[in-house]
Amino acid sequence: MAIARAPHAAGEAPRDAAPAAGLNSVHLTLEALEKRYGNLPPSVSALSLQLRQGELLGLLGPSGCGKTTTLRMISGLVPVTAGRILVAGRDVTALPPYRRDMGVVFQAYALFPHMTVAENVAFGLEMRKVSRAEAKERVMRALGMVRLEALADRKPRELSGGQQQRVALARALVIEPSILLLDEPLSNLDAKLRDEMRNEIRDIQQRLGITAVFVTHDQVEAMAICDRIGVMRAGRLEQIATPLEMYERPATPFVADFVGRMNHLRGTRLDGGGVRVGEAVLATTGTGPAGEALLLMVRPHRIQMTPVVAARPGATGQNVQPGTVRRVTFVGDALHYEVTMGAETMLVESSTVSGPQSFAVGDAVFLAWNPDDTLTFPAGTEA
Amino acid sequence: MSAAVLTRPRADWRGGTVLMALLAPILLVNVLTFLAPVINLAMLSFRGSGPGGSIQEGLTTATWTSLLTDSFYWEILLGTVWTSLLITFLTLICSYPLALWVSRLGARWRNLMMVVCISPLLVSAVVRTYGWMILLGDQGFVPGVIRAMGMTPPRLLFNETGVIIGLTEILMPYMILSLLAGFGKLDRTLEDAAGTLGARPFTVFRRIVLPLSLPGLLLGCLLTFVLAVSSFITPKLLGGGRVVLLATEIYDQAIVTLNWPLASALSILVLVVFGAALAVYGQLSKLVD
Repeated sequence: MAIARAPHAAGEAPRDAAPAAGLNSVHLTLEALEKRYGNLPPSVSALSLQLRQGELLGLLGPSGCGKTTTLRMISGLVPVTAGRILVAGRDVTALPPYRRDMGVVFQAYALFPHMTVAENVAFGLEMRKVSRAEAKERVMRALGMVRLEALADRKPRELSGGQQQRVALARALVIEPSILLLDEPLSNLDAKLRDEMRNEIRDIQQRLGITAVFVTHDQVEAMAICDRIGVMRAGRLEQIATPLEMYERPATPFVADFVGRMNHLRGTRLDGGGVRVGEAVLATTGTGPAGEALLLMVRPHRIQMTPVVAARPGATGQNVQPGTVRRVTFVGDALHYEVTMGAETMLVESSTVSGPQSFAVGDAVFLAWNPDDTLTFPAGTEA
Repeated sequence: MSAAVLTRPRADWRGGTVLMALLAPILLVNVLTFLAPVINLAMLSFRGSGPGGSIQEGLTTATWTSLLTDSFYWEILLGTVWTSLLITFLTLICSYPLALWVSRLGARWRNLMMVVCISPLLVSAVVRTYGWMILLGDQGFVPGVIRAMGMTPPRLLFNETGVIIGLTEILMPYMILSLLAGFGKLDRTLEDAAGTLGARPFTVFRRIVLPLSLPGLLLGCLLTFVLAVSSFITPKLLGGGRVVLLATEIYDQAIVTLNWPLASALSILVLVVFGAALAVYGQLSKLVD
């Protein structure tokens, strides 16, 4: 069984490490996938992507964006309206779920309530006519992988949510599926357990070198464990990129907003690269025709806030603007400030440090950020 | 913690008092209208019967002795149990697919179809039985169809076949209701999960749907069996007096022969059958859970 191979050191594995041979070969291909229900607008349309062997893709988006429908199409539980699904070059579009050889972890776990943990995990092996002795050994190994050997004879209702989740994972993995599909597997767990489970899922996925698709509406979850993220919106793939690229260079304002908080500014491009926002002129790295209406976005925690005491702060080339603190929100590990800057209200985040907090409502401050951190989009492309 | 433990019995005691007070009216009604008549019935079975339906003074076990030694009554008892089991089985076979289908419809259609399934209950069993007499009679619809297909129809009325056909249809709504209550707990994602693990549709049914619907199925079978054993009008009319079951025999003894002690003893026998059915149901339910 593949579970035993390539024991990996615990903890965060390097993102680009090759856990198994055959990496870089395309394993899962979706070609112009489309799903329609009746005459409604398509739930999913023109969805194309390729996954390498051993890659973990996160499908991210708000509820109703078609990410779960996409997952169900891959698993065969929902027939496609148009397009093709290929696994290792083989067209599986027309195959029913029971012939697709995919491991699925469902949002509500979907454990069989009338079977024990061991019977649940053994079900897929039984369907594959694996001998009783071998099945027993593989079930115990799979349960060992999720640290649940001791609970093999319990019924699912006697387990906690996290334990049920791990049984569901073991059940999906024990059949050594060609692809692992996870449908919001962590959404029913509490915050602490969620972090633990997501690292465990990533760990196991890397150890087995299994190609996986992970559906979630939580951008932190997706960024933490996925090799690449596909952001979906209204049935379409808005952008597919690595977490870093997605965060730093989002393709659209929608993606930018979805993967983290953003300040929105409206402006007009001037000759020479500057952008006029109200009275101020801001520097950006983008280029384009003068007079173009623009949407500028800056992440709140990329803005440094300094008191107005000495000389104008900030390195040369930085955007520096005066402002007044209007609201301070303490959220534990960070302080959220609302700062009026001309006619705009900017959100600024800074980590809390020990000692008295540095700014109070009414303080005059300077806001400084790099032109690199200013994303520009043509006006009218926002959600 | 210890305080909570100390006050607990008191809380229980008070809860018990309220419970008793709430239960008292229904308890009283049951004692007066069910328990007392049953005891009366049991007493009656130990009295002798005289000519012309008179009941003699003094207690005797004669009725019970003749009942338990006469193979005629044993045959009625076994025949009734067997026929009722057969009817229960046929009702289950006819109801299960229908209930499964209804449970999978969209909310609006499901409610409509549930009403359709239960609607036969709006028509009295007597009327429905007469309906079956028309359908099953020699010149009726069913033999007509069989003849039209070029076959000789068997006798369908005034025999056991007629009773079984009629009761199966009449009892189906009860079975469907019980099954639907059971199917309500069936989660479709369990079937999806089984499918992705490699189970074909029939295997999904056998390993997931059927086991999970067993509680509703058992309840439906208990209900149908009890109703089949106690049904009287349908066997009487569709059996045409030729099919002797416990309920029809009780009627004959009580109304025609006027042997009330024997009718009472047979009624107690029916109660024993019910008790046995409940015991079997309890055991099977424990197994299923």
